[in-house]
Amino acid sequence: MSKEEIQAIDHSESESEVSFIHRLKNRIVDPFDDFLNADRSGKTDKAGKVFLLVPAFASTLIIILILAFLLFESTPILTSPVGGPGIIVNPTWDPNRNLYGIAIFVVGSLLCTTIAIGIAVPVGIGGAIFLSEFCPMRLRQPIKMITEMMAAIPSIVYGLWAYIVLVPYIKNVLAPSLQNNPLTGWIPLFQGDTNGLSLLAGGVILAIMLLPTVVTITTDALQTVPTSLREASLALGATQSETARKIVISAALPGVGAAIVLALGRAVGETMAVLMVTGNSLQIPYTLFDPTYVMTSIITNQLGYAFVFPLWRSALFAVGLVLMIMSVCFTLTAKLFIRWGMKTRGYI
Amino acid sequence: MSNFKHHIEVHNLSTWFGKKAILKDISCYFEDNTVTAIMGPSGCGKSTLLRTLNRLNDLVPNFRREGEVVFRGENIYDMGYSVYDLRKHIGMVFQRPNPFPMSIRENITYGPKLHGVKDEDELEKIVETSLKKAALWDEVQDDLDKPAPNLSGGQQQRLCIARALSINPPVLLADEPVSALDPISAAKIEELIVELKKDYTIILVTHNVQQAFRVSDQAAFLYLGELVEFEKTKRIIEAPADERTEAFITGRIG
Repeated sequence: MSKEEIQAIDHSESESEVSFIHRLKNRIVDPFDDFLNADRSGKTDKAGKVFLLVPAFASTLIIILILAFLLFESTPILTSPVGGPGIIVNPTWDPNRNLYGIAIFVVGSLLCTTIAIGIAVPVGIGGAIFLSEFCPMRLRQPIKMITEMMAAIPSIVYGLWAYIVLVPYIKNVLAPSLQNNPLTGWIPLFQGDTNGLSLLAGGVILAIMLLPTVVTITTDALQTVPTSLREASLALGATQSETARKIVISAALPGVGAAIVLALGRAVGETMAVLMVTGNSLQIPYTLFDPTYVMTSIITNQLGYAFVFPLWRSALFAVGLVLMIMSVCFTLTAKLFIRWGMKTRGYI
Repeated sequence: MSNFKHHIEVHNLSTWFGKKAILKDISCYFEDNTVTAIMGPSGCGKSTLLRTLNRLNDLVPNFRREGEVVFRGENIYDMGYSVYDLRKHIGMVFQRPNPFPMSIRENITYGPKLHGVKDEDELEKIVETSLKKAALWDEVQDDLDKPAPNLSGGQQQRLCIARALSINPPVLLADEPVSALDPISAAKIEELIVELKKDYTIILVTHNVQQAFRVSDQAAFLYLGELVEFEKTKRIIEAPADERTEAFITGRIG
């Protein structure tokens, strides 16, 4: 190797070192410069991009981590010979005898949610149509505000109210009058002795809690429908209620769908109020007046005792896993439905 | 005077939104199978006048009206006059295309279904004739089940015309129907309006003098809520009697 060549290499090395430091400096300093200059044209806000990426990923990561954690915690019961995935259809829950069937809770939760949605969605959408289409301007804001306040009441307060008012009402008034009335007395749904703590009480209190969500979100969705569509319908000779039913609701269907999804999510996950009024009895309810046990209640009630028994504890986590999968499925189905609605309406 | 079947007469009509007077003592009439242009600068009450003719202003809070609008010999603001019946006979096309977010076919069948047409074949026929009248059939006949909002702006407006024609109203109100469209679509719709004159009475709001000249038979010039001139279009444009009309036509106000 000749001297010049070595020199050349040295030279190039020192130069690359300089440029490396230079580049490092640029790496560190430039983003901050860019951040400070972000409002000048032609500058990309790199630092802002990076900092905002963190919260954006965080929410995704949290979902994945929670799912992983639930899976991990429920592995013992899902792999054990007394458990396995079959627990989801097994109706016998008796930790003392190592029986961990969770079907009762799944059925209880589904029935409670069905009743709640069945009441809250029609009533809520009706209320929203009134607020958005028929209500005098002066009344709309106050009513909406009060409805929004309803959403802020803690669920335990709803539970207390239901325990004192709704449960005795079902026991003393509703059940006897339905069962003694010859018109309705024969219907299987209304049979059975009851102390008021029942599937119906859970469904009704859940429905009341869902109402504000359904009403406010649906109202907002209906209000985004352009006035010109209502006018077009009226100009064709439609009445106001025909316009509301056939044009406004249909145009706002994706938004209404979103309201139902949120309500569903809240319904399956609600714990306190339901726990207080459903009676928490280990049986599958056959009538509206039978007590029931929902998934959230069993976890809250038994986690304390179960913590030192690996299988028992794991079974409770499995209930949580099923709950989570259920609500993810609801959300995904609803998203697909909303997408379909948007497509057929030409929004996307 | 009333030997026209679908004659509309406006007698001493004044309207207010709240305390603000919009129209001041307007009297005019619209004859069968003519195009009447209502011209005037922005905010002069053109649209209000049009929307008073099918009572679409009724829903606006604080709207107040004096005077009469007589359609087929009856005052449409009389107690007991069915506004739904009125709107069945007076169709309307709006400033911006406003197709319902449904399929093209459903957009057309909406009106007839409201008024009790149930027969599928008949509905199908209405879809075809309405779209043909609006000169849209050739472009959409294979896509009748596609969502209407996916059409282009000009096509959407022609769909809205077809929708208005679907219940076969003798009178058609058009509120600046081309102002939101590109020149080519606008020209198509202007042609269409002239074509439709054969079967319909058309009342067209516009602030474009050239357009009024091209399509209309008679014209009303409104200025700040007053009816300044009401005459044959040709007469108004060629020899405006009022100095405000002249100012508008020559472009000094507008």
